[in-house]
Formats: sequence, structure tokens, C-alpha cells
Amino acid sequence: MSTCPPETCVPIDPKAFKSDLKPIWCPGCGDYGVLAALLRALGAIGRPAHEVAFVSGIGCSSRIPGYTTAYGFNSVHGRALPIAQGIKAANPDLLVLVAGGDGDGFSIGGGHVPHAIRRNQDITYIVMDNQIYGLTKGQLSPTSRTGTKTVTSTWGSLELPVNPLMTVLGYGCGFVAQGTPSDPAGLAALIEEAIRYPGFAFVNVQSPCVTFGNAEWQAAQHKAAMKKLSDLGHDPSNRIAAMDLAQHYGADLHVGVFYRNPEPPPTYGRQLRERQAALADQAKPAAQLLDAFRVV
Amino acid sequence: MDNLVIGMAGSGGDGIVSAGESLISSAVADGYFAIMTKSFGSQIRGGESSCRVRLSTKPLHNPGGTLDVAVALNWEDFLRFGAELPVGGRTVVIYEARTGVQPGHLPLEGIAPAEAIAVPIAELAKANGGDRSKNMVVLGLIAGWFGIGRESVIAGVRRKLGKKGAEVMEGACKAFACGIDWAAAHPLAHPRVMDAPLHPAGSLLLADGNDFCAIAAIAAGCRFFGGYPITPSTEIMQRLDRELWKHGGVVLQAEDEIAGVGAAVGASYAGTKSMTATSGPGMSLKTEILGLATIAELPLVVVNVQRGGPSTGLPTKSEQADLFQACFSAHGDALRPVLAPTSVADTFPTTVEAFNLAERYQTPVVLLSDQEIAQRKEAVIPFDPAALPVESRRKPSERELDDYKRFRFTDSGISPISHPGMAGGSYLAAGIEHNEAGDPTSSGQLHERMLDKRFRKLEPLRKRRDLFVIEGDAHAPLGMISWGSTAGVCREALALAEAEGIRVKLLVPRLIFPVAEEVYHEFLVTLRAGMVVEQSYQGQLYRLLRMYVDVPPEIESMARPGGNPFLPEEIVARLRTYTLALQRRHTRPFPE
Repeated sequence: MSTCPPETCVPIDPKAFKSDLKPIWCPGCGDYGVLAALLRALGAIGRPAHEVAFVSGIGCSSRIPGYTTAYGFNSVHGRALPIAQGIKAANPDLLVLVAGGDGDGFSIGGGHVPHAIRRNQDITYIVMDNQIYGLTKGQLSPTSRTGTKTVTSTWGSLELPVNPLMTVLGYGCGFVAQGTPSDPAGLAALIEEAIRYPGFAFVNVQSPCVTFGNAEWQAAQHKAAMKKLSDLGHDPSNRIAAMDLAQHYGADLHVGVFYRNPEPPPTYGRQLRERQAALADQAKPAAQLLDAFRVV
Repeated sequence: MDNLVIGMAGSGGDGIVSAGESLISSAVADGYFAIMTKSFGSQIRGGESSCRVRLSTKPLHNPGGTLDVAVALNWEDFLRFGAELPVGGRTVVIYEARTGVQPGHLPLEGIAPAEAIAVPIAELAKANGGDRSKNMVVLGLIAGWFGIGRESVIAGVRRKLGKKGAEVMEGACKAFACGIDWAAAHPLAHPRVMDAPLHPAGSLLLADGNDFCAIAAIAAGCRFFGGYPITPSTEIMQRLDRELWKHGGVVLQAEDEIAGVGAAVGASYAGTKSMTATSGPGMSLKTEILGLATIAELPLVVVNVQRGGPSTGLPTKSEQADLFQACFSAHGDALRPVLAPTSVADTFPTTVEAFNLAERYQTPVVLLSDQEIAQRKEAVIPFDPAALPVESRRKPSERELDDYKRFRFTDSGISPISHPGMAGGSYLAAGIEHNEAGDPTSSGQLHERMLDKRFRKLEPLRKRRDLFVIEGDAHAPLGMISWGSTAGVCREALALAEAEGIRVKLLVPRLIFPVAEEVYHEFLVTLRAGMVVEQSYQGQLYRLLRMYVDVPPEIESMARPGGNPFLPEEIVARLRTYTLALQRRHTRPFPE
């Protein structure tokens, strides 16, 4: 069963996915735009909120599940992906979303990304990438540009930034996109497409931090540098071309689908269901569980 | 003779461990009770290896003390396992004649064994089945001298080697027969023959603790396992991977220990009974997520098969030094129940109990096993797993879903728990403190009420007397408290001491934490001397009890770290000194 069978799901009013909790985000934060786009995407897909499990880690952006009416899990720093994979494995029928920041996904939780990709569960992972640690008030993040001065990089960062797009493309992710809250309709469409992709899907969102980030630089980028991949004639089935474009992360702001595997391999969830079904006739009633230990 | 302890050591290629496995399988098939432990050097292949097989006509609680029979294929390897293969005055030592050692000059410190017999094992093997059948010669010698497994060893070997072809099987049978013949031609000075088994042939089970933990999890309704391989717990994941899928479950080998427990927490959140298993180093990594399961009130069973530590420590040897970690490694005020099985057989009901507690109280539960129980093979009297009660989490009713609050304050502290997919039950699970609805809060007042809820719901646990076993004379002045695999040694020591007329009792907790103060208090109140027996350097159970219970100064810690397990006779010796001391103390007021 796919996560969102179009034949049974009809669009729902996006407002149905909005909870009564007031976001803790600063006024002007890019995450508001991500939330709005996500609500639109969920409305378009039409799965009822109680069939959606929304997992996050720790950080400003990781507060997002609480602002929806889905089943939310605001877990611990960096571990949203393993928790989401457990949820999806236990019940592959659920629509499972994961969201978090660049620190959650590419620093403390970076080790889980390749494995989430190779396990290929039908999960959508949205990273709100602001190149800064906002919740802890302005420290260096794994995607901060070299030379960035923060309270923990007083003299400028000596490290190269992680390139989230190249990273996930390199690991073999079947769906890779990038969006920005400056283009709300485009972002909503990207998230919807990511959810509809049958497999692990990654959406990087350039979501400026207006308080601690270099919002001015980011905003300028969004306006001046935003390039729609569709306008560039990019073929999203071409992974090498996607990687070529992804190299411009941090310089150009490419928006759209970098890569969509034209022949998605079977998902983990589908395969586990098939395996369970194939082995079901070997299940033993409790009373016979010890028979294998009898020695004669 | 109703009891026989055999210890064997050799190099990797000697097949010592596989000989032990053949011996225990055939003995248990014949209806003997038996326990087998193995020990290896650190090499992946080859290197020294040893095993102990203890056989008895009656149920056994531990692998036994001083050996009745010692088999040394070479002395270097045998002596490396000194503490695990103790030789005494009643031991018959059988050794490879090619070592050139004279029977009167064995390289054993301070002991003259009952008998020492040099056997040309390699030579006999070479002439009867080939170099690789030394272990079959040894089994033949044991069968010949002690009367065990004459028919069943061969039947077992036929089953095991059947696939390898007639030639291999015939060689093995020939080597076995020549061992029997050699024993017949060289009778023991004081013949000892094992009594016939009292249990009917083919009626016992043979399993290890990791096997039983896995199968008990299935019986308890576990349908998700997330974990990462680590010695000595890996066999739990391996067996579940073979079995759990058949029952509609999933086994996920995660990328690390944290992801393993994370996935298990996620599966539990999704409404599935779930488990992870590890050993000390993995437990350290999982600790943060255990705190998450505590505050999000999610059921979870975490198995820690203890090995020597800290860090990599003694990865293949048993120790009971993760008790503090199990009880106290949480950050913040978090109470998670800790259960400890005391034998292979006991691992089954204790694992089911761990799931029941996790589900009933919506909490992570630590099942603190140890390497010895987890990896030793033990004969078990069959029981019906279907007869064990199985509990599941309390889900909200239709009416409760009308105005659902996931963390609703209740008298018991337990709130009905929904899961994704359940209409009307949506909530935010979180590591952050929350109100009844699950919404994040930073209120100190709410934090205190929620802590009270999370502690209050576990209160009834401390009244669970059925999670304790008390044996021996209820009014005895001497007492022992012991747990895990060491409890089995104390059970045997109790029987040996009682046979000598020593008045002693034994308390074995299967519930380690929270500490059931009343149970200990009642046990301790009659005592004038005694000890807490355990396998850790610090004496962690002893110290834990002193934290919660008025332990009188006459109760001492008898503790020793891993790799050097207690023998029943050592414990009896300690009890003897206590009886003497009590008598001396008793006479003290009068001479003055």
C-alpha cells in the first residue's frame, strides 16, 4: 500500500492540520513558511491527521510537529530518523514525516542519514536549513559557511560546510529537492511531491534565521540567486546532472527537484509486509514455542 | 554418583567445545539435568577454548565447583582457564600423553588430584578416524569410564555429521569406540559410574538464556526488535530474526546502538510491543533515549546481557557490575524498573514479566541478564508458555477519546495510551516536559506533578513479593542475598550448608529496582550474620541495599569481579566461619 493512494484520498482543508499551539518561533522566521507549505501539502494529499506520524529532534524547527494535528513526536537531538523508521516499520500504512534543522540532521544526527536512505522506507525528511544554531542562540552549524563568525566561532569557522544535497545524493537518496519559504506555493508542491514519492524523500529548505543567522545574506540570496531548476531545463531523472547542480549549494539557491529516481525500488515497508505474509504460516502458537528446544 | 562436573580445555582445532555440546545434548536426551558453559580466548578463530559440562540426576542451579573430571589436551591452554577449571582432591585428570608430563608431576599448584591418567589421545585419533577426531576419543573415554552417553552420543553424532558424509561419520564413531575400549582396558583405580537418569529420556529441553529471552519476547507479544550486534547479547537478535518475522514482527539491525533503541521507541509509540538488547557499552549509548521513553511514558524492554567492564572490559566473561548503570544512569529524576533472571529457565518468565511491567506502567524496563545465564546451555523442565499471563497497554475507550488527554492525571498515575492511526487520540509525544494534553511546558509546578505521576504509577511494584524467592530456614540466623547467575551458586551452597546442619536462608530478588524495602527488612530482621553475594568489584547490590534498607553491619559484602565465578564450596566455607563466629560471640558474656 502506498502512503497516499490517490484513489482513496481526497483533498482536505489544510486548516484541519493546524493545531492550537502558538509557535515559539521569532517573527519573520522562515519556519512559519515551511509550516504553511506543509499544511497545504498535507491538505492536498488528504490522509486524515491521525494517520500521519510526524517526528522531529531538537531545535527551533523541531518544534513543528506540535503545530500540527498529526500524531507528533518531538524526540531527542539527532534521533528523529531512527524513531521515525521504527514507527514506519511497526506500521507501514502510516504517513511518516520527519523534520528538523541542519544541526539535528547533519551534525549530531548525521550518522543516521545514510542508513535512513539505504533502508528506503517511505518517509519524507524535511530539513530546515538556516546555517546556524538558533534555539541555543547563535552557534556554528554544520552548514555554516567557512569563516562564519558566531559565539562559538569568534574568529571565524575553520571548517567547510556540509553540503546536504550532495550528501544525500551521494548516499543514493531516491528523491532530493530544495525549496524556500520565499516561494510558498513552490515549497508546498515540492513537499507534496516528496510525500508522494514511494520511498525515502529528502527536502532541504533554505529557511533563514532572522535572529541569529545572516538573514540579510540569506534573504538577498533568496531573491537574487533563486533559480528554478525547471527553468534551467534540468532533467530530474539524471542523478549526475543533479549532483553537478548540487555542487552550487551555498552559492546559488537552486529550487526544485534535483533528483527523482524514475524507477523507484521497492520500499522497505512493502518488502517487510511481503516477508511477513510469506512466513506467516510458520507462526507457532505460544504452547508450541518451546518445541524447538526439545532434545531427543 | 548422581552428579558429575567435567571440564575440558584445548586449542581451537581440538573441537573441545563441540565435544561438550555433543555430551550435553546426549546427556539431556537421556534425561540428565545438565549445564554447560564455554570460555574462549579473544581470537576470532583458533586459540584456546574450554567448556564445562555438569550432569546430574536432579535439577541444577549452577555449573558446579571443583571438577570431577578434567581433560587437558595440552597444559598451556588448560592452565589459562585456571579459575574456571579448578582441580581438587576428587578430580580425575585425563590428559594428552604427548605432553610428556608424568602423572605424578602435573603442573597444578598445591593439589594432588584423585587420579591422573595420560592417554595417547592424538595417537588414538590418528589411528581411528583421523586427526580431527580427538574430541570423539575424549567422549569415548568419558563414556567408558563414567557410563554417560554410550548410545546417545553416537545417535547425536549421526544427526550432526550426517550431512558430512558416511566417511566422516564412520571416522567419528570409530574414534568414539576406541575411547571406550581404551577406558575399558585401563580402569580407574576408584571406578565412578554415573547413576541412571531419573527423568524419562527425551523429556527435557536444552536452551540458553539468550534463546529463551528471544522466544519469551515472542510469547509476550513483542513484534519489533531494533538493535545492534554486541557480545554477549547478539544471539537474541539472531534468534528473533529467524523467528519474529513468522509472527508478523520486524527485526531491524540498526546502524548503531542509539538507532536500535530509537527505532524500538518509535515502534512502541506506533502501538507495537518492542524490545532492544545490548551489553554494557551499548547500554551507555542508549541511555539518553531511555530517558525519552520514561518522560514520554512509552513501554519498552531493554535487555542488558552484562559482561565485564568498564568499556570493552572482559567482553566474553560474565560480571554483575552494570547494576548501578541499570538503576541510576538516567539523567533527571527517572525511575525505571530493573528485573534480573536467575537461570536459563527463569529467563523465560522474567522476560515476559518485563514486557508486562513495561506495558502496564508505560515505562522502559531493564532486563539485566548476564553472560553466564545468556550463553550457558541448560536442561529445562518443559512448561507451557501459553500459561504465562500476558498484559498489554491500556488503550483509551471510545468515550475516553471524546476528550482525550494522553497524560491525564489519574489515581494510579497510569493514563490510557493511544497510537498513530487511532482517530481522536492524536497527541504530541515529547522529551520535553508537558501538560496532560502533551503540550510542551516549562512550568515547575507541572513538572513536579508529572514527576509525581511517573513515580506514583510504579509504587505498586515495590509490593510485588512474587518477584522474590526466599529459600531455607525462615528463622535462620544466617542469610544470603544474591541475584542473577550468582543466585544459582548460592542456591547450591544453601543445600550443601543445610546438609551440614547450618541454619541459613537465601533471598533472591528478580526485581532489583525499585528496591522493595519491606521484603529486605523482613528477611534481614532475623539475621545475625550473612552476606550479599555478587560478581562485581564494588559489591553493587550490597551498596544499593544500604542506600534504601537498614542493612545491619553483620551483613557483609561477598563480591568478586567477573571472569572468576564463585564456587558453591567457597560460599559454604564462608557460612561455616559465620557459624563459628556466632558460637564464639554467644559465649562471650559468660567467661568474664
